[in-house]
Amino acid sequence: MKLTHLLKTTVAAGALLGAQAAYADVTFGALYPFSGQLALLGEESARGLELAVDEINAAGGVQGEQVVLERGDAVDNNQAIGEARRLISREGVKAIFGTYSSSRSIAASQVAELSGIPYFELGAVADEVTGRGLKYLFRVNPTAEDMAATIIDMIVDKVGPMNDKAPEDLKIGIIYEDSSYGTSVSGHEQAMAKEAGLNVVTSQAYPASTVDLSSVVLDLKQRGVDVVLQTSYQNDSVLFLQQAHEAGFQPLAIIGGGGGYSTQPTADAVGHDIIDGVLDTDFTQYIVNKDFTPGIDDFLAAYDAKYGGEPRSGHSLTNYVGAMAILTALNEADGFEPDTIIETVSAIDIPEGTTAAGYGVKFGENNQNERARMMGLQWQDGKLVTVYPDDAAAAEMRIKN
Amino acid sequence: MTDQTVNPAPEPSPEPAAKPAKRTTAAIALAALLAAIFITPVVVDDQFVYHIFITICIFAGLSTAWNIVGGFAGQLSLGHAIFYGIGAYAGIMLTNMGISPWIGMFAGAGVAAVVAVIISYPCFRLHGPFFALSTIALLEVFRVLALHFRDFTGGATGMMIPLNIGWEWMVFRERLPALIIAFGMMCFILAVAWWIRSHRLGFQLVATRERESAARAAGVGTVKVRLIAVAISAALTAMMGTFHGMYLTFIEPESAFSLAFSIQIAMFALIGGLGSVFGPLLGAVFLVPITEFARGALGAEAIGLHGFVYGAVLVMVVIFIPNGLMGLIGRIFVPRGTGTKQADEVAAPEVARTFTPPEPGEEIVRVKNLNKHFGGLHVTNDVSFTLREGEILGLIGPNGAGKTTLFNMISGFLDADSGTVEIKGPDGKWNSPTNPADFARLGVGRTFQIVQPFAAMTVEENIMVGAFHRYPSVDDARAAARRTAEKMGLAPFLNAEASSLTIGGLKRLEVARVMAMEPRVLLLDEVMAGINQSDVRRAIDLMLSIRDEGVSIIAIEHVMQAVMSLSDHVIVLSSGEVIAEGKPKAVVEDPQVIEAYLGKEFTHA
Amino acid sequence: MDVFLQVVVNGLLLGGLFAITSVGLTLIFGIVKVVNFAHGEFLMIGMYATFLITTRLGMHPYAAVAAVVPLLFVLGMMTQKFLIEPLMSARNHDIQIFATVGLSTALINLALLLFGADIATTPAYGLRTAVEVGPVRMLVGQIVMFGVAAALVIGLHLFLQRTQAGRGIRAVAQNRAAAQLMGINVSRVYMITFGLGAACVGLAATLVAPLYPTSPGIGTYFVLTAFVVVVLGGLGSIGGAFLGAMIIGLIDSLAGFYIGSDMREVAVFGVFLLILILRPQGLFGGRQTLSHVS
Repeated sequence: MKLTHLLKTTVAAGALLGAQAAYADVTFGALYPFSGQLALLGEESARGLELAVDEINAAGGVQGEQVVLERGDAVDNNQAIGEARRLISREGVKAIFGTYSSSRSIAASQVAELSGIPYFELGAVADEVTGRGLKYLFRVNPTAEDMAATIIDMIVDKVGPMNDKAPEDLKIGIIYEDSSYGTSVSGHEQAMAKEAGLNVVTSQAYPASTVDLSSVVLDLKQRGVDVVLQTSYQNDSVLFLQQAHEAGFQPLAIIGGGGGYSTQPTADAVGHDIIDGVLDTDFTQYIVNKDFTPGIDDFLAAYDAKYGGEPRSGHSLTNYVGAMAILTALNEADGFEPDTIIETVSAIDIPEGTTAAGYGVKFGENNQNERARMMGLQWQDGKLVTVYPDDAAAAEMRIKN
Repeated sequence: MTDQTVNPAPEPSPEPAAKPAKRTTAAIALAALLAAIFITPVVVDDQFVYHIFITICIFAGLSTAWNIVGGFAGQLSLGHAIFYGIGAYAGIMLTNMGISPWIGMFAGAGVAAVVAVIISYPCFRLHGPFFALSTIALLEVFRVLALHFRDFTGGATGMMIPLNIGWEWMVFRERLPALIIAFGMMCFILAVAWWIRSHRLGFQLVATRERESAARAAGVGTVKVRLIAVAISAALTAMMGTFHGMYLTFIEPESAFSLAFSIQIAMFALIGGLGSVFGPLLGAVFLVPITEFARGALGAEAIGLHGFVYGAVLVMVVIFIPNGLMGLIGRIFVPRGTGTKQADEVAAPEVARTFTPPEPGEEIVRVKNLNKHFGGLHVTNDVSFTLREGEILGLIGPNGAGKTTLFNMISGFLDADSGTVEIKGPDGKWNSPTNPADFARLGVGRTFQIVQPFAAMTVEENIMVGAFHRYPSVDDARAAARRTAEKMGLAPFLNAEASSLTIGGLKRLEVARVMAMEPRVLLLDEVMAGINQSDVRRAIDLMLSIRDEGVSIIAIEHVMQAVMSLSDHVIVLSSGEVIAEGKPKAVVEDPQVIEAYLGKEFTHA
Repeated sequence: MDVFLQVVVNGLLLGGLFAITSVGLTLIFGIVKVVNFAHGEFLMIGMYATFLITTRLGMHPYAAVAAVVPLLFVLGMMTQKFLIEPLMSARNHDIQIFATVGLSTALINLALLLFGADIATTPAYGLRTAVEVGPVRMLVGQIVMFGVAAALVIGLHLFLQRTQAGRGIRAVAQNRAAAQLMGINVSRVYMITFGLGAACVGLAATLVAPLYPTSPGIGTYFVLTAFVVVVLGGLGSIGGAFLGAMIIGLIDSLAGFYIGSDMREVAVFGVFLLILILRPQGLFGGRQTLSHVS
């Protein structure tokens, strides 16, 4: 079905081996939403995986075998299950990489677990993905909990001091769109804020499909909120930032939880001057201290060569880093039996500051990468710049104007 | 089309010889299709193919269950995901509490049925698009509530089940057990839908859908039957939802209470053929693989291409084959009724009705001082009269006199502002009924001035709707309908579509439907209108024979010939008031009556 | 008190938004009696058209009216002619709903194909400037939208009441067969009405585009509210739609502020259900004969 695609993912360097090479291939599944609502970022995420596979194959493949990716389209939960089954039973994949969407990941990994096939999550952030105690599921990327941790750290370490306020004196307002994404991030924000002794004065959900956030803005303004934490997609990010500005609501800081806050169209829509100084947390983005993220320039070059232009979000980078960690480790293993894979991957120990995303890899409780973390970012002069933690920062955090 | 006179000797209605053959072909085709659905994935033994066929079974089951409400009852529900979600959540919640989903399935079904009745009862009064909109609004409310009460439902992030393998928990490693369950449930739902359609409930639902007022006049409790249908449909949908939830091992409000999903279920039924029992099955069998294929071919090409083609195809289908695939295939494969008993002979009447010769003097209907205003217009002004058993009472008057309004008040379709309507029951007690069902129960039947056949049914089925009032069993009702058709001269047309009759035939059908109820009082609203001279003659004979069977009649008529020959007693209504009454001859010569009809100049003509 | 005033003003301005986007629907639903689920997509098309015109040609969004309104008018007429009319004689009227659902899906995905999933922003040209009237803040664009909505409502009302064409439309709404017998070309009236309804949406789009980001799914955010407004106001009643929009806007704003943003939808749909059950003809709709007895 995806013949042209298969050809694209196997590297030309190995083509001269001819027929023999076909027998020496190992197939992995690439399960992402390639069509439907989530297609844009699903495709973006898959590109990271593909770039990793290209790089591995150019270096000789895994255990001497070229890696072949078989795509599965996880357009909805029912489909995710079907595709997972197909990849496992018909395509005979040794493991599945995926998935961008948490609910797709949860659905598909249940199938993989039942079949005893390893599942490597490279980009979904909800807690439940690794919260189920599955034996064959590993997640490399940072989670919603990590996102909240970075946000709270930013408040305590930076926002408070920079504004000459003790963190406990800051009034925090949490707003979020009501789907799984917004709910999980904001839930952690609340819990961690409490642990850090911060004062959360309100926590409100709103429908993702809203056309108006003026009552929310008014409520935050009325309460005198100093720091707003919003978790939202593009539409509601734009609405909030615009309506806050127009209502004359000027908190000390606004911190987004990824999503719409990380995308250029949002900045363009709101206006670069209005969004200037707004903070954000997300996967590693591209204006970052390159010393902390070695290999990122090579990644960008490879992306441009293969797809033309710049990455549309940080998802591709995160998937690339995760896939690289796994595949490199598998190269040292002996065979592709599920338990061998599990054993090998569990032993991965990559220090911080040595991957293109900056964070290291070591799997801990529930097979979640303990060293994964989100970056703190800020919109400066119309660009999204890494400002936290300090060793990853490409620029100083500014006070919001 | 020749009319048959009323003939006491029954003639066997000529059944087309092809009919039995058609039904067997249909049954074989259906069995073959079902077998194919089960056997194909087992033979191919591929995980993905299993998944496709399990998906077909799930959607076929959901669409068939939906069709009970959307197709049979004609209430377009776009919120059925409410019940699906209830079933899925019930199953998953109870599993997490250690209770088997098999039990959870029934718990979910029960809850769904109750919820369905509660939300449908107020909304049934809404017609067409309003009902659809209300179901959408309810679905949104459920979704938001599921998000809000996150301690109960897991909120936006949803709920999962532990992966306990086994039949008890409906979680398996292999696909065959899942297919068995899905297939089994689909067959069960199909069986329930088929049973409904071929028995009394189905007839009453279709009648309610086609012409609600005529159905009520035939004694159908239109609200009650629709609530029953909704409860059954909701329960079945919930059960399938429980299974699907276990199959996915994970549920969230977004996908459980999804408007797009509700529309999809309804769409499969539409494309397969609304209102037919096996249409939704066909729809699922065609659409699921095609959607898969299209997504595979188009999905990754460009974002939105697959969806665009899907939407465009949908529009095409709706415009060009609005009756769905079943309509295309035609009546070849539609199994109607039981299919087994093909009685050519008419069964002997179950109970011979004892007829007491008319004793004029025994009152059976008493109307006292009826008044009605429409806004400022006094349409019925202090009208009183009585009907005696075995009597034929003619009700005449110029147009706009308020005759039909009066009829509506004495059949339960309109409330009077003041005054009483009393009917003597078979037990001799006087009752004051208020709605059409009560009147029907007391044996009052009425026809409508503008004939109202149930267009989607045959002549026989139309009459059966009335017969069901007396004979709950399908076979008895069919026999009774046939007898009535004989009497009404409709026997040759039993299997014709009601809508294909001429006006004369439709009028007779109208009467036949009411007669099948075996009424004691018959209200006829202008049955003679628009039929030719010789037919009038025959109709008069018909009405007399009806009276001879012991039925008392009130007839609104303009055809003077009929009035004169038929009526024992005549009442003249003008501008809402009774201006004359008495023997036909006397009334016709009454100057007031002449003035009312023709104007003052003619009183001395 | 100041806060309360602001909440109320926000509600009224929101009402203006709902009014302008729903007036077209009351014509279509009320007169042609079609449940047009693609109503939101008409708005989306208008917004994208405005976006293209302003960004490619450098024009002020309001100037785009000259192109967007006729475009939507034609689109509406074509929808009536090619999609709805063939279905009007179908036995089951409900399938019109499915046809418009299909149209909606096709249009959303077409937009996705052409423009991608990211939001598109129409330049604001100063319409986002805030205006302070006492303790209350409003945007210039919002005030204009409110004003145009009111003017449109009055204009349409006059059109329907005073002009020959308007009377023809009302006649067809009340009794199709009789109107036909009077020599009115019903098919053409339906086309013009549908076109007019769509044109109203086009006008709305040019006013909304500078204030809200456009995306393929933006229509779906408005369509359900539009139906609520139309039913609340009464089918076919233009003034009713305006009033209904104000009521819904106020409920949304007040519920959002005083109860909680997540329950906003419940409040709006709750009101919707109450109206449907207790008074289905809405505030100003004509007396509905809910059951026919001839």
